[in-house]
Amino acid sequence: MNYLSLSLVELHNLIVSGKVTPEQLVKDSLELARKDNNNAFEYICEKEAIEEVKNLDPKLKDSIFYGIPIVIKDNFSTKDIPTTGSSNILKGYIPLFSSEVALRLKKAGAILIGKTTLDELAMGGSGTTGHLGTTFNPWDPTHQHLIGGSSCGSAAAISGGIVPFAVGSDTGDSVRKPANNAGLVGFKPTWGRISRYGLFPFATSLDHVAYFNRTVEDAALTLNVLAGRDEKDASSSLVPVVDFVKNINDSIKGKKIAVIKEIVDSINNKTIIDAFNKSINMLRDNGAIVDEVSVDIKLLKAIYPTYIIISCAEATSNNANLDGIKFGNRIEGDSFEQVMINTRNNGFSELIKRRFVIGSFSLLSENANELFIRAQKCRRLIVDAFNKVFENYDAIYCPASPSAAPLMDSVSDTLSNEYLIADNYLAYGNMGGFPSITLPIGFENGLPFGANLTAKPFDESNLLKIANSLEKATGLSSLVAGKEK
Amino acid sequence: MKEVNESVLQEAANKLMFSLKDDEVQRLLIEFKHIIKQMELIGEIENVDKVEPMTFPFDVTNSFLREDKTSEPLKREDALKNAKDVVDGQIRLPKVVG
Repeated sequence: MNYLSLSLVELHNLIVSGKVTPEQLVKDSLELARKDNNNAFEYICEKEAIEEVKNLDPKLKDSIFYGIPIVIKDNFSTKDIPTTGSSNILKGYIPLFSSEVALRLKKAGAILIGKTTLDELAMGGSGTTGHLGTTFNPWDPTHQHLIGGSSCGSAAAISGGIVPFAVGSDTGDSVRKPANNAGLVGFKPTWGRISRYGLFPFATSLDHVAYFNRTVEDAALTLNVLAGRDEKDASSSLVPVVDFVKNINDSIKGKKIAVIKEIVDSINNKTIIDAFNKSINMLRDNGAIVDEVSVDIKLLKAIYPTYIIISCAEATSNNANLDGIKFGNRIEGDSFEQVMINTRNNGFSELIKRRFVIGSFSLLSENANELFIRAQKCRRLIVDAFNKVFENYDAIYCPASPSAAPLMDSVSDTLSNEYLIADNYLAYGNMGGFPSITLPIGFENGLPFGANLTAKPFDESNLLKIANSLEKATGLSSLVAGKEK
Repeated sequence: MKEVNESVLQEAANKLMFSLKDDEVQRLLIEFKHIIKQMELIGEIENVDKVEPMTFPFDVTNSFLREDKTSEPLKREDALKNAKDVVDGQIRLPKVVG
């Protein structure tokens, strides 16, 4: 039996009862990572993981992560383990400290078996732009369909059955979109809920720590480990942390859920809409009150351009330190300026350079009022519109994407409602810092697809309760590519 | 707003300490056309210029200051570990004055 296809809860029970040992799990996970043919890994922690599991403290046995092999996206610093952000500019970079997320997981007994690929520096949504090339979707052995990104390698590692848990980051939808394409639970808690110390910054006002699980209960258990103030991250929240698992099985009777009409209307795929409508009935059967609610379509169409301008502008500034001098893949030149230029020319792909130019252009004093500042103003209107919905509703529920994993060469009309709204609306969760979770609701031609639930800031308990109720109704949990469900 | 053309984009790239090849500039010009059209959608939104810019998801107010304790988060030799060319505890760069 491949134990690594189980949920955290199932695996924990097997470890505690002695039916499987952490040593065996780590050995098996490393072997599967070695055999991975989806380009999920930047680095496999062969020696480190074996050493780590040998020294595992038995006092941690009650922890849900005790002896569990995990992967972390390669934009989280990990002490003494190469961390590249899937960019050539950081080839050979070895962090001197670990991210808080990596530390908390280690303290909980998790064993890091690998660092995973991403769209270069997390700036992309396709899973095709990392310096090691395209990361493939384990659900599609023909490698024609995207897994999505930017947390592509983490999604591939868990949906491919290599690990039962994977860390990602989410600035626009970088965990919640690949979760849609890979049949996973993808959870982005509230902005500030989890420390970002040691996460390479992309767009500071939008960046969130997020992660993939196989069940909603696992997502809640994970939040119990990761949530909480960290003095090293000034933006980490002081809001008290509760037990997110305690009431997860409570009834959702009377919970009010809003379905945004304009988002659903922007989707043309009948299979998605049918499955979504079916899932609404399940929520109603479980006692929830589900209403159709309108949000100004102009604001919904503005989410994507607002996101692009703000994220590119912040990225331009955040990545100014990548010059090869203090760290990174330095390329020599005749002057220190030329060293920086050569390093950045050699280190960044065209896509990254384009994003930086867009960001820089938006910030020019002649342009800022019409681009960057206007995008920040529009962000306020967008967030206000969703906060207004949350005044009357516990959660917003919509399909997570207009399709299951799209084909690699699919082309979108960038002014269509399907592109601007259905394919990119999830970024509203980053703009408002709302906790947001994607979970599977159906299949099309053998490929999974999901829906998304989002709630007001710091209301993860309610959100997880509703998601858990929905997951139980659909029966679509613990999906692993290649395994019948 | 400044007109988006080849020289403006090259200038922006130079300020960012990298260069763009001709075909990269052409692709960027196309991308800008899309972005400008999308940004026009924002311009059509009523009241967009009447609200305050939002710089973070929500306001957070703290009523305390952290303890002012000294610490050594990074030793000099550690700080230099990832630099490629180090001499006498300093990073070596090409000479500025001959």
